[in-house]
Amino acid sequence: MMTSAAGQRPSSNAGGRPRISRDTLTGWLFSAPAVILISAFIVLPFLLAFYFSLTNERLISPRPTEWVGLRNYERILFEDPRFWKALSNNVIFSLVVVPLQTGFALLLAILVNQKLKGMVVFRTIFFVPITVVMAAVAVIWIVLLNPQGLINALMSILTFGQFQPDWLADPAWALVAIMITSIWASVGFQMIILLAALQDVPETLYEAARLDGANNWQQFLHVTLPGIRNPLLFVLTITTILSFRLFDQVWIMPDRPGGPLDATRTLMVDIVDTGLNRGAVGLGSALSVIFLVIVLVVTLIQRRLIKQEGDV
Amino acid sequence: MTHSRTSRRLALLATAALVGTAFAAAPVAAQGDLNVCDGEFEGPVTLTLSVHSGTNPGVYPDSVEAFNAGPGAEKGITVELLPIPETGYETAINAMAASADLPDAMYMDGPFLVGFAWNGILRAFDSCISEDAKAGFLPSIIEQGTYDGQLYSLGSFDSGLGLWAHKSMLDEVGARIPAGPDDAWTVEEFTQVLKDLQAAGKGANGPLDIKWFYGAGEWRPYGFAPMIWSAGGDIIDRSTMASSDGFFNGPEAVGAWTTFQGWVNDGLIDIVAEDDNNFTVGPDTEANTGDETPISWVGHWMYPLYSENVDDLVLLPLPDFGNGSKTGMGSWNWAITTGNDGVADSGDELDMDAVWAWVDWAISPAEVERLATGEGAIPSTLDGLAASPLHQEDGVMAMYVTNLNNAHADTTMAQAGAVPRPNTPAYKVIRDAFSSAMADIIAGADVQTILDDAVRMIDQEIEDAGYAE
Repeated sequence: MMTSAAGQRPSSNAGGRPRISRDTLTGWLFSAPAVILISAFIVLPFLLAFYFSLTNERLISPRPTEWVGLRNYERILFEDPRFWKALSNNVIFSLVVVPLQTGFALLLAILVNQKLKGMVVFRTIFFVPITVVMAAVAVIWIVLLNPQGLINALMSILTFGQFQPDWLADPAWALVAIMITSIWASVGFQMIILLAALQDVPETLYEAARLDGANNWQQFLHVTLPGIRNPLLFVLTITTILSFRLFDQVWIMPDRPGGPLDATRTLMVDIVDTGLNRGAVGLGSALSVIFLVIVLVVTLIQRRLIKQEGDV
Repeated sequence: MTHSRTSRRLALLATAALVGTAFAAAPVAAQGDLNVCDGEFEGPVTLTLSVHSGTNPGVYPDSVEAFNAGPGAEKGITVELLPIPETGYETAINAMAASADLPDAMYMDGPFLVGFAWNGILRAFDSCISEDAKAGFLPSIIEQGTYDGQLYSLGSFDSGLGLWAHKSMLDEVGARIPAGPDDAWTVEEFTQVLKDLQAAGKGANGPLDIKWFYGAGEWRPYGFAPMIWSAGGDIIDRSTMASSDGFFNGPEAVGAWTTFQGWVNDGLIDIVAEDDNNFTVGPDTEANTGDETPISWVGHWMYPLYSENVDDLVLLPLPDFGNGSKTGMGSWNWAITTGNDGVADSGDELDMDAVWAWVDWAISPAEVERLATGEGAIPSTLDGLAASPLHQEDGVMAMYVTNLNNAHADTTMAQAGAVPRPNTPAYKVIRDAFSSAMADIIAGADVQTILDDAVRMIDQEIEDAGYAE
């Protein structure tokens, strides 16, 4: 009495008492390892974080932990200018990097998609930064961004010696330096996804458009973009979420957590600095709860906006 | 029959009771043994020792090797060295304590003793050293290692801080050469000397080197809190250790930082140097050619490198901001932990006698000489000091000893001398706040705003963690 759709109809039996179908059970069994791992490593720590955020738990202390209610949240939201600076840095970073990186990735994908000999070489070159651990990327870029380093040498050629900022020490340019590093390191990932999407657009559509007299730009707008709509939206969503997770570069590159005048302080830096360096686990947990709420809200807003565009 | 069975039962019962008592008593007796130096322990023992892998990497492995080959082999003790990067050393120790992974013996920077002892991860070793032996140490070393009336650590050396300079360059601009800490340049004089040196083209990126490339960490408060002490202020209210308001952001501190920020803005400070070459060899990478940075604000550890490269090296006191020239003191010292889990009497701590054997070795005359001369530091024992030519009255580093002899924790006293960093478990957060504030001030931020924000963070931390209770 197997049903084709798993678990939608209980298998027939004379008594009328519903039994769990084998399909449902099999489904649960297959997902059990993942469910257990996710519960243990994500759900449980989050519940613990929520619990700790209501106490004054410290990393190491001879005194017992006390319940403090919402005091940690009050502190962060109303008394801590660094938190708001970190949040605004995250927002600025996302607003700039997401469109820029996605656009750049799309450009690279289109370039690499040309049917020319040797394109595989370029594809590999653009993808290689992804294979390097972000921490190593950060260390290498510290050397490149040195005031007397390679980037400034290039800058002095391009701008005739006018513009050679002290990238990581200048409050105005530190965040830009982080953005450049991040885009360089991650664009390959989006490029590969968009490349696959581009290759899925049927060639016949382009032929039809050309027959109708569409030029390259019109083809791009009316054939390419709609054709890769779903992967493109996926890339945008993922990049937004990952941009909030910005950590390795901003932790390693400036000489102190947060950078000059907190110019590169992000939410993750705040959480780690508070929880580990200062040993204030309660406060750090409250920060991570707030962080989750923020990312959740941003993701929901994005989904809302995307749904509306799809309906038009 | 019944009689003998009963008596056998009674005998069995009595034996069981005796054995049971013995088992119950043994842990108590053993605990007493473990935490006190009674001259005996059960070998062989392996103990882990953490040190900072920083300025002088070679010296500690040599010392450990010598111990393992010598007294270690005799007594059946092996020391395993665990180097931890100096930046974030204290965070690493806290994390190890939280994950029950502490070493059995640890090295730590002076002012952190109070924090670690307050957290309960150290064991006092008064029972291991006689009063006579304690009297053989510099008073500053004993004071640094004492918490709540008990001795928790001993250092092999103490530190010195001042201005190293190329005497010939100072002569060139006609600067007065101070004879000692009482004779130090006033801030106005010092600023003028720097400007004169700058006008004479000395120092490619500024005439004053401050080792800014050391990065965030202990160097910043160690090297520059003396400015605030010299101005008559402090970085925390030492009478209560409960708040830094009015001190860290007080008028004396604001004044000192504003002067310092002025030096940065006038280009008098070299903040771009990536290494020590600016003072030793200059841009032409050749020593004694006249293009080196003339003055270096740094501690004793540069002596070996500096004396090798600079022919006319001279050691001068830090400038006097109004309340006497003040300088820093205190350095790394050895302590015994309460075992891997950082909890006292939990059963995983090694016998005190075994761990003390290492500390005893590290403070013995030969090791004090090895560790101190490796860095140019001031030997922590009176004998060691007497045997060090560099620290005699006519030695290059006599000034350090003068400062230590005039050490005083009351920063309102207008005498020249060394000041210990505040003895409070809150020192770590003060250090981090000082380090951040200094970076922001150099970046050009408003001094009062930055200091107020630092005070908010420090005071909140003190309240949260209950440091002042």
